[in-house]
Amino acid sequence: MAKQGVVPDDLTRPFWEAANDNRLVIQNCAACDRLQHPPAPRCHACGSDGQLEWKEMSGRGTIYNYGVVHDCPVRLLQEDQPFNVAVVMLDEDPGIQMYSHLPGTPVDDVPVGAAVAVTFEATANGQKVPEWQVVEA
Amino acid sequence: MATPNAPASMYRAEEGVGLWEHRGKVCAVGVGHSPTARRWDGRPDTTVGAISLLALRRAIADAGVAPEDIDGLVMDPVTTTGAYWEAGKPIPEDIVGAYQRTDDPLDGLAKLSAEWILKNMPELANVKFTMYGPGCMSNAICVAAQAVGDGLAHTCLVLKSWHNFEGRYYQGGANAGAALPGSAALRALWGAPACYGTALQFAEYCRKYGKSHDMMAPFIENSRQNGLKFPEGYWAQHRPEEITPEDYNAARWIAKPANLFDNDLPIMVSAAYLYTTAERAKDMRQKPVYILNHAASRTRPRSLTPTLDEVEEDTARTARKIYEGAGITADDLSFENMYDGFTLFHQFHIEGLGYRGMKFGEALDFYQGDIGIDGPNPILPSGGNIGCGRSRFWMHTDCIQQLQQRAGARQVTGVRPEVAVSGGPMPLGGHYTVWSASPD
Amino acid sequence: MILLSFDIDGTLTVGDPPGILEMELVREAKRRGCLVGSCSDRPISAQRAIWRDHEIEVDFTVSKHMLPDVKAQFEADVYYHIGDREDLDKRPAEQAGFEFLWPHEAATAPWLS
Repeated sequence: MAKQGVVPDDLTRPFWEAANDNRLVIQNCAACDRLQHPPAPRCHACGSDGQLEWKEMSGRGTIYNYGVVHDCPVRLLQEDQPFNVAVVMLDEDPGIQMYSHLPGTPVDDVPVGAAVAVTFEATANGQKVPEWQVVEA
Repeated sequence: MATPNAPASMYRAEEGVGLWEHRGKVCAVGVGHSPTARRWDGRPDTTVGAISLLALRRAIADAGVAPEDIDGLVMDPVTTTGAYWEAGKPIPEDIVGAYQRTDDPLDGLAKLSAEWILKNMPELANVKFTMYGPGCMSNAICVAAQAVGDGLAHTCLVLKSWHNFEGRYYQGGANAGAALPGSAALRALWGAPACYGTALQFAEYCRKYGKSHDMMAPFIENSRQNGLKFPEGYWAQHRPEEITPEDYNAARWIAKPANLFDNDLPIMVSAAYLYTTAERAKDMRQKPVYILNHAASRTRPRSLTPTLDEVEEDTARTARKIYEGAGITADDLSFENMYDGFTLFHQFHIEGLGYRGMKFGEALDFYQGDIGIDGPNPILPSGGNIGCGRSRFWMHTDCIQQLQQRAGARQVTGVRPEVAVSGGPMPLGGHYTVWSASPD
Repeated sequence: MILLSFDIDGTLTVGDPPGILEMELVREAKRRGCLVGSCSDRPISAQRAIWRDHEIEVDFTVSKHMLPDVKAQFEADVYYHIGDREDLDKRPAEQAGFEFLWPHEAATAPWLS
């Protein structure tokens, strides 16, 4: 599926640069050792703004939930509807979620609870984005 | 001077702070609605600014106050969540020029400032206090109640308006572009529509409690039936169509498990209320409806979208705040009027409230019983957004009118209308008001 | 046999917003022996009420996503869907194997020729 392109901004640039390098990084607060995603200018837990860092993840996770999009507001994706949009929880911290189209998984046949692994796919302007695929048991 | 947003201190977002200090001392006395329309028809007298003036003047007349006695205006300057004025599209000078203008060329057309309102309502010559309660009417009325209670204004108008343009909602702006800013892309790249997050929570709810989407049908049917009894509503005014269980279950999915009728219809509409002190309300035309409390949720989800656990924890916390500040319990509620746009989160609100003794996971079973306005357990007598169109304020108007005993064909008859709660929009981050027919 | 599926809003004059196609066009198609019906986002009960109010006995009333069901249910030589939306009419119609007509294309009743 051809996703819209991405223009990294200051807050998210490390995330997108890592994705172009086929790595998944998530913002972490060194002060309270807590991951947060989406990234923010300060830690939502302890309020620290000076000790936010980027931590590399294993790229492993679990499908937490999903919906099937039949009427998509994004023009570029309308050709591909219906499609899955799943929520993946990271193995490092199940409180951290990422969205996924689950490439390779049939529409509305999503194994909630199944293990997934990160892949990286190019968006319309070449910027890579983390995606997730079900790992064969 | 630019109108400020209400400071965080004006919202009651904390638990354990006791009774609201102005409990029973602030009232709603006047209601004014504009007519509804599906979309703006291009005429100067139907812009969002124009319908706002109409709603405000109707609220003033309804309350029976002299415009010069009004000293406050609280409103939301944003008038859409998804109907965009296309970048580069010329501003229709004849339309905006029909009114006193501000520096913003879209003011009164695709947004609305307090400055625009006051320029175009010269009769409000004594308004000294203006403030924004951004988000929706639920936010604005909390701010207005607090402002009147705090003495920042004694006779205060509250306004919320919505515009809608040609084209499909949400399909312009960034959604039509070739690329997104990095921060927005973390959520938006996957193309999930607005109802997706709620659909996810509902899917988890069904898995956890063994429920199914078709169990929502009686709620939808009831909402539309109630909405068709709301003469100010879109469906009553333009398309008096019921939604039967067959209709609901045959509707197409938007983001499964949310279907077309789980979503509300964007419309043009404006509503205004007149808030004042209990003392001043005695001299006004309508029976005062007393505010026992207002409450807010400031909870943010840990990550991209709230989990069911986060939703349930927060609705329970919100209910404790609602009851604590009002000095009531769930048993005191004559009826509930919590938000419904999207339908699939209404049950989270009322389970959190413990409405009629309800526990988490029980609302859909409750919907299978008598939930009509003539019975002992009314659910959403306003009909909400599903019954009346997207405004996020029908439930507040209905609470006022029900407690004033002037809800007409919609008047609840199976319960005595004494105390009610309304609010929303989403379970996380909502704003709520407790209304009462008496001050204590 | 010709099957005609009509969207309502933005397509028929009774729609919200009104379209350009008069109910008489549908009535005439029915008289000529076409299978006719509506495929709309209106509640099915509301679609039925519209046809009943205009005294047109239609062969089907379905929700917007149900054109494949219509095709499976009715045998016809050619299937048309007439609507005003690229994403909600044209694309699903073509995916379901229907010929698609915009309202202005349908106004001349090309199926009669």
